[in-house]
Amino acid sequence: MAQHPILGYLVWAALFGALFAWEGLALSHLSGAVPTLSATFRAIMRYPFGRWALFALWLWFGWHIFVRGWHFLLRA
Amino acid sequence: MGDAALSSALIRQDVLPLAVGYALLMAALAAGLVLLRRRPAVPGEGPSPAASADGAAGPVAHGWLRLVRHVAGTAVGGYLLLMVVLISYYFGVAPVAGNFIESAFTGCALLIGLSSPLFGAATWLLERRRASR
Repeated sequence: MAQHPILGYLVWAALFGALFAWEGLALSHLSGAVPTLSATFRAIMRYPFGRWALFALWLWFGWHIFVRGWHFLLRA
Repeated sequence: MGDAALSSALIRQDVLPLAVGYALLMAALAAGLVLLRRRPAVPGEGPSPAASADGAAGPVAHGWLRLVRHVAGTAVGGYLLLMVVLISYYFGVAPVAGNFIESAFTGCALLIGLSSPLFGAATWLLERRRASR
């Protein structure tokens, strides 16, 4: 496995932490101005280009998780 | 590997893709918000006329043909958009090693080919269950 500086991992952790914190704030209804992730996705999916972008994101994620670097189990 | 080479590789392989992805996502969100502000939603009202005309107002309720058109349009549009982004990235930013482009074309098509029948079957079962109630 490639060695990366710990800072790179910390940045990823901070980004995901911020995402969940933002969603938590939206769900808590403390601030009515913060839309939830679901509301944001609904707003994006009203338009064809938004649906294409989200579908492309889903496809890209699935391609990386399930297809790239995948081998048959019994392949030598 | 020296520090300079490591920094360069880090910028090329991690920071740049992350920044490009972040910029694309933020641009899509910003475009969505701008369009949303131009067409304010009225509480209690359904989706906007533009969305209804495109079939986003509940395609299942309008029949299977409309659902198939809606799903096919989304899948083809998303697939083509991803291919454009990946090809632009490959030739414009970083030529990733291995069969990157080939894997993108075939792998994503495989995913759509596998997931579409499952989605159709799940929708059919759901509708059948809803109709029997």
